[in-house]
This record gives sequence, structure tokens and C-alpha cells, in this order.
Amino acid sequence: MRSDEKIYLLLAPLVLYILFFFLSPFGSAFKLAFFNDSGKFTLDYIVKTIKDVRFYSALKYTVLFVVTIIPLQLVTAFVIALYITRRGSSWLMFIVSIPLAISDLAAGLIFLSVFSESGFLNSFLYSLGLIKRPIYFLSYQNTWFLFLAVVLAEHWRATSIVLLILVAGLQMIEKDFHEAARIFGAGFIKEIYFVTLPLLKPSIQSALIIRTIFAFQMFAVVLALAGDMIPVLSGEAFFWYSLYRNPHIASVYALIIILISVFFTFVYLRVMRQEL
Amino acid sequence: MKKIAGILIKILILLPFGLSATRIYFLSTQLVPVEESEWFRRNVLSEFESRYGVKTVFIGTGYGEFQDRIISEFKSGRGKIDLTAGLSSDYEGISQAFLSLNDFFSSLGVDFVPSATKYIKMDGRIIYVPWLQTTYIFVCNKKALRYLPDGARIDDLSYEDLLNWSKNIEDATGRKLFGLPAGPRGLIHRFIHGYLYPSFTGAQIIHFDDSLGVKMWLFFQKLWAHTNPGSSVWEKMDTPLLSEEVWIAWDHISRLKNAIIERPDQFVIFPAPRGPAGRGILQVLVGLGITSYSDRKAEAMKLIKFLLSREIQKRMLEGTGFMPVISNVKFEEGGSPTALIYAGVSDQSRKSDLIVSFIPGGLGQRSGEFTKIYRDTFREVILKQKNPSRVLKIYGKRLKELYRETGARLPYPDYEIR
Repeated sequence: MRSDEKIYLLLAPLVLYILFFFLSPFGSAFKLAFFNDSGKFTLDYIVKTIKDVRFYSALKYTVLFVVTIIPLQLVTAFVIALYITRRGSSWLMFIVSIPLAISDLAAGLIFLSVFSESGFLNSFLYSLGLIKRPIYFLSYQNTWFLFLAVVLAEHWRATSIVLLILVAGLQMIEKDFHEAARIFGAGFIKEIYFVTLPLLKPSIQSALIIRTIFAFQMFAVVLALAGDMIPVLSGEAFFWYSLYRNPHIASVYALIIILISVFFTFVYLRVMRQEL
Repeated sequence: MKKIAGILIKILILLPFGLSATRIYFLSTQLVPVEESEWFRRNVLSEFESRYGVKTVFIGTGYGEFQDRIISEFKSGRGKIDLTAGLSSDYEGISQAFLSLNDFFSSLGVDFVPSATKYIKMDGRIIYVPWLQTTYIFVCNKKALRYLPDGARIDDLSYEDLLNWSKNIEDATGRKLFGLPAGPRGLIHRFIHGYLYPSFTGAQIIHFDDSLGVKMWLFFQKLWAHTNPGSSVWEKMDTPLLSEEVWIAWDHISRLKNAIIERPDQFVIFPAPRGPAGRGILQVLVGLGITSYSDRKAEAMKLIKFLLSREIQKRMLEGTGFMPVISNVKFEEGGSPTALIYAGVSDQSRKSDLIVSFIPGGLGQRSGEFTKIYRDTFREVILKQKNPSRVLKIYGKRLKELYRETGARLPYPDYEIR
């Protein structure tokens, strides 16, 4: 066997995997979104999706979540990553990565048990004598608090993946650069701005891409904490499929999510292009 | 060698026929979860086989696929499925594929509970025999009973009483202890179209956006003021009942029964309240049908008779929580929690002012839109506190469009009124 033949052979399982588990579902979603049951091309499902009141609020909230959560996570993860690489604190690394192993629904339920009427926060406030009776934190009346709770839960749950990528990136930066910067008199801030951040760019880029794609799929945490009050795109896809039993409109939502994710990935790749 | 190969081929060809000689194919939209279907095969169907020597192949399926499969088999003129179990709405629109069971039904001699047989005729034909039923119930914690409004009786409440009851509790404890499953996966829409609408307007759909409908929503806004705000995330009410986040709750039996099973002494099941038009309840009826193209009609009828025997009806309740459709199923005094639930439901079904509603069917692929209209209205009028008459105008139009475009038959009781 020639070596380039071997390469194809080695790649074959991956190609098959992608064909089978990504392209074929993608193809059927596309078909469901644009063709009706008798196989005729139609834009009805797109029109129906766009005309639905829930569509705009789902789009609005999804984008709001993305632009609040991701910068927040990036900053937190960067600060912790700096601390870990400078102090070599592996136990902190261990503790901070625990949420990585927790599913998003479980994370949502954990925060539900914090904020619910008989939850930890209420019992804590009560035991301090600050409140006389439980507060309904997660009430449909405080949409802003529901939003905040989801941001908190997501921040807790998904920052560790960003952290892992950044720690790996920081460890790859050679010490010489930092030493050189210090010899030339750079302070802490300058060192980070002129040395660490530019060298960390590739890691930041991949962390951003991964997190943004996941953020558009965010769903179970919102469902557990905010219920119906805060619609998100993937949640609407789920409801149209399972509750309203219309796979066509669910597929339209899926396509919209894919389109937005591809767009953001493209923007990241463009904006953060490496100068060679 | 050739000979052996020939015999082998013949065996392979004839094998399916040989096997199907003593088999009934049973397609069902119910008992689909693995543990339920396994339980059903092991505890019910295997007994039928050992008693009558007829093997049953039980196939669970989704709602959409059920109709698709029956229709495609019916059109091709030959199919596998002999017997079916589905909700009344599953049979809606595909009745032509089923055998008329009018004669069989009257020859059965089974003493059905009246509410189970009330609406089984479709265009004069009986195409399914009632088999199991389930419904939704109201449950309260015994601690709530002392706050009942003056003159109100727990077994005969009005919605006005329910409102005052919740208000009394809130005044006394400072907490909102009435709860509804209004979370994204809760069944609040069933409460609205199967309980509130019929009780206030006498129908599920017809009075959706008229003055009666508006009145109902104005009442619901008042009730919601004393409803636990956690309701907007709850999926099922057993957990909040057990954690005492609520004292009074409504939900589907299967989503409440854990609370009663866990602490049977703490809870009381009470009949649905009555409104100005009557006492609306939603009944979920599972019926057995025989396909018109089946080759095993006699065996299928035998299985239906077996499934309607007192013994199996009782066993189904204990194993799956589905209620019997036959009268006078006896349980031991102070028996199991499931027997308690059954007693509660039986009490309710004896009320004289009942308005029994069925889940709407026949909307095919668009059946989910029905649900969405009621849920969206709920979100606008109750959660966002908008003016009901304005909201109802928008969604009433959609509801009418849905029925006009699909040409579906109105569900009971609306169908009867028209």
C-alpha cells in the first residue's frame, strides 16, 4: 500500500462518521424545512416561523445570552488561567473543572435548588433573619432575575472549558518572552497586553468558537430556570418538534441556529486572523 | 446439495407464514416506554398466550406513525396489524381503516362506566371498544382543609370557592399555596381547554374568544394572583406537593401519583370544581380497534374480551396506573394508593353536572398548533397580564383558521353543541 493510500484509509472512518452523523441529518433538516410532506418545495414553514411572536423574542434572548455570557466567561477564565499558570495551583484547576462533568440540565436543576422557594438561598437568608418568608426569586414577574439566574448558571457550568483551553495555551508560551518583557521594564499590565494576549490569540479563538456554538445550543439550563418565560432558539426547535409536533418548523429553527453559528465562526476567524 | 438448498429456500420463504399462523399484531400508542411495554408483555399478553394459545406481538409507536402506518397498510390492502390501542384522537380521521364493532360491542355484555362509552361512536359506527382511561385530578394537602371558605364542601367546590380557598390560605400563611404545572413541559394547556373553558363556557373551542371566554380568563387572572409563581416552571406537581411548596394542585394522574404513593395519609383527592356552565373534566380514553384488513379478527376479538376482564382491568391499574373502564372493580378496604386514586376518579365521574371533554383529534400534523394557541394565550393573558379580549381576538382567529384549513371535526363536547 502506498503511503497516500494509507492516509485515505486512515481518514475513511472520520469521513464516514461525518457523512453519517452530520451531513445526513443536516440534509434531512434542510429537506424538512423547505419541502412539504408530498415533496413539493415550499417557503410556508419559513414564513410561519418568522410570523410567530416567539421567534423574535427567542432570537433576541439567544443573542443577549451570547453577548453577556461569553465575554464574562472569557475574562473569568483568563484571570483564573493566569493565576493557575503563575502559581501552579493544580487543586484550583481541579475544582474549577468539576462543572465540566455536569450536564446542562443537571446544572440548571442545581441552580433551581438554589433559587427556588424552599431553596438554599432562601434558607440561608431566613437563617440570617434577613427575610420573614421565602422570596419567589424565579417568578415570571422578574424576567431580569430569570435572565440573571441563567447567566449565573451558564457561567458556572461552562467557564471551565474556556479555562482548560486557555491554560493549555498559556503553558505553551515560552518563558523567554516574559523574561524579555520584564528585562525591558514591562509591568504586569503591559506584559499581559503586549506579550500574553497576542500569543494566546489562537487559544482564545478556538475557545470563542467552541463557546459560541455551544451558547447557541443553550437550552436545558434556560428550560429548568426560566421555563417558558425566556424563549431561546434551540428551545423553540425542541418545542416545535416534541410539543407542537411540527418537524418542519423545528428544522427551520435548526437551520437558523446553524447559519448563525457558521456566521460567528467566520467572523472570529476573520477578525482574529494571525499575522504571519 | 441442490436439494438441500431448495429445501432451505422453501423454509425461508414459508417461515414467516408459519410463524404468523398463530400471531396477532398489536399496534399501540400507549404503554410505549420500555418498562411499561415489557410489563404488559410479561404480565398480560403472556397469560393470554398460555390460556388461548395465541401469541401477540406488541408494537409500541408514536402518535404520528400510528396513523401513517394504519393508512398505508389500509391503502395497500394488506397489512400486518390486526389490533390497535390508541387514544380516541388517534382514531380521528382514519376510521375507514377499521372494522365496525357495533355488533361486537353490544354482544360483549361488559358493564362499562357511563363516561367511557358516551362518545365512542364516530358517524354512527363504533370503531374502538373502550379499554383503559385516565384523567387529571385535583389534590390537596390535609393541612389546607381548615382554610376552606364558609359553606364550601371539598367534594362539591365551585371555582369561586377554589379562588377564595387559595386566598384564605394566602391571608393566613402569607404564602401562595395553589399550584399548576405551567412550566414548559407542564400540561397547563389541558387545564385551560379541558377544565376552565368547559366549566365556564360549556365547550372547549366554540366560545374561545366570545364574552364567555373573556369572563373565564378574567377569573383565571384573579386565581393566578393567589397561585404560586413557581408554577411557571413546574413540569409536574408531585414534587411541589411533597415539598409543601403547594397545598393544592391539579395535574395528570401519572404526574401526581408519586405524591399519593409516597404519603397516602397526607393528601386528599377531590373532584374538579364546577363553573357557571358545569363541571368540566378531560377524559383520556384508550380504545381497542380491529383493522378492516386483518386476517385474525376472531382472535383479536378474543383478546379484547380478555383485556376487558375484571382481573386484567384491575391488574392494569396496579401495573400502569391506567383506570378501568368497567364498573365495580373492587379493591380491599384502605387499599393501595392506586386504589385511592381510582376511588377519587370514580367519585368524580358520578357527579351529575359533568362536562366530559376529549382531547381534540383529527388535526393531523397540525395537532400541536392547537396546544400552542392555548399556551400562547396563557402566556399573554396570565403571565404577561395583558387584556384578555385583545389577546383572544388574535388567537381566536388562529384557532378558527386551524379548524377551517384542516377541516377537522370539533372535539366533544363542542361537536354535540354545534
